[in-house]
Amino acid sequence: MPSPTDLAELPFLREALFELVLLAITGGVLGAWVVLRRLAFFSHAAGSATFPGLVIADASGVTPTLAGLAVGLGYAGGVERAGRAGHEHGEGTALLLVAALAGGVILASDVFESGAAVDRLLFGTLLGLTATDLAVSAAVAAVATVAAIGLGRTWSAVGFDPDGARALGLPVARADLLLLCLVAVAAVAAIPAVGVLLVTAVYVLPAAAARLLTASIRGLIACALGLALAEGVVGLYAAYWLDVPPGPPVAVLGSLVCLAAALATRRTAA
Amino acid sequence: MTAQAGAAGVAIAVDGLSAGYDGAPVLTEVGFSAAPGRLVCVLGPNGGGKTTLFRALLGELEPLAGSIELSGRPAYMAQTERTRLDFPVTALDVAVMGTLAHGRWWLPPGRRERDAARAALERVGLTDQADVRFGELSGGQRQRALLARALVQDAPVLLLDEPLSGVDPASATLIAAVFRELRAEGRTLLVASHDVESARSFDLVLCLNGRQVAFGEPAATLDRATLQATYGHELIVLEGGRGAVTVQHHEHGHEH
Repeated sequence: MPSPTDLAELPFLREALFELVLLAITGGVLGAWVVLRRLAFFSHAAGSATFPGLVIADASGVTPTLAGLAVGLGYAGGVERAGRAGHEHGEGTALLLVAALAGGVILASDVFESGAAVDRLLFGTLLGLTATDLAVSAAVAAVATVAAIGLGRTWSAVGFDPDGARALGLPVARADLLLLCLVAVAAVAAIPAVGVLLVTAVYVLPAAAARLLTASIRGLIACALGLALAEGVVGLYAAYWLDVPPGPPVAVLGSLVCLAAALATRRTAA
Repeated sequence: MTAQAGAAGVAIAVDGLSAGYDGAPVLTEVGFSAAPGRLVCVLGPNGGGKTTLFRALLGELEPLAGSIELSGRPAYMAQTERTRLDFPVTALDVAVMGTLAHGRWWLPPGRRERDAARAALERVGLTDQADVRFGELSGGQRQRALLARALVQDAPVLLLDEPLSGVDPASATLIAAVFRELRAEGRTLLVASHDVESARSFDLVLCLNGRQVAFGEPAATLDRATLQATYGHELIVLEGGRGAVTVQHHEHGHEH
């Protein structure tokens, strides 16, 4: 069993730890709104939608982050537009998910013969996190924090009562679009570490557990932040110990915490 | 066209208004005006155009024809059914939301905003429930919390969408008392309702059924022919001819 201090001492682990801390900050401040505004499916889809683009970028030498951001932001804009027009987009999202994953796998296996790159894109990696990955995650964490402070009251008013929020003269459409774009960008930022399939492990599971354990928005954000940090650090250690990508242990841990929170609150309610 | 009410002594003036969705009118021929300090009951069946009128007055719907003049941005009280009961906000949080109408939505609420919200909660009798989650309040208390959010906006005109729907008698009495206070302060209230009998206690009544059926003082307006034109087969006239009730087929149950 490796020493936990390796996380701080080994350079590649230190970088992964730093990355997960940054994602946890985003996961805390943004994840609360993902859960409150019922955007869990959207955050999962935003990550998965980028998969074919990332495969092409990976094989053709284009910066994957740029390709991911372009696809993620395009997707967020489309969803916001559909929502504004009053269209249900659940089926459309499901279609896009299937097409993106299937298309990505076909591109990776038959066209570009990407091999190991597919696993890395789907489930993340401890190795090979670049300075760009860390810089993107840091920028996303900073923007998410500033946006959550500046727009938190508006997001709250819209989530509680959209008609009332609009009548208050709030910039509802722009605030919603910004939230969707932030979630999409955050999903892209999480891909190098946890992979496209497990973005929700960072942005949904800690906040979903925190939602069960807290009674206020401020408490929810604080609890989600704490859980995301703890799950990230412990998950990273487990990944190092078990020699697996970090995405799955972080996701399993997040699921267990969520389950425990659900059981604990059910018992309290009973 | 929406504009500030120019003429002194007019809180709201609507002329030849036609409004609807995607270019198709659902409400036509609306023309009325009300001075400051008037209580106006807006009667009509579901789908009669009450909410469409409010959305046009709020500037959310561009009129297809006609004009609207208001003496300031109106405050709006939505139906409680449109709110999310699982949202982690207290009655105080809901009242504080009203301060967002003053702009500066990017700043956290300060002491002034909180004090204004607490004063509004006190006015609607919710001081002791300020820290109770909105979803845990009774139906009447929720309506009062939403009324507090509207009060905080300090608007000259208030648009209230069925504020007395599904409330307990104590809340109804309290809300009616607040309405009278607001009228005494010179504010004009448009209150959407299904209750024909309570409409008789208002200063003015506006009857809508896809168009403006009638507008005027209740005693002169709420006759059998007007109610029949407003509600059609949903109207039941009681024995003696004076009383009338409407049978509404609501998503959330029946109302009489």
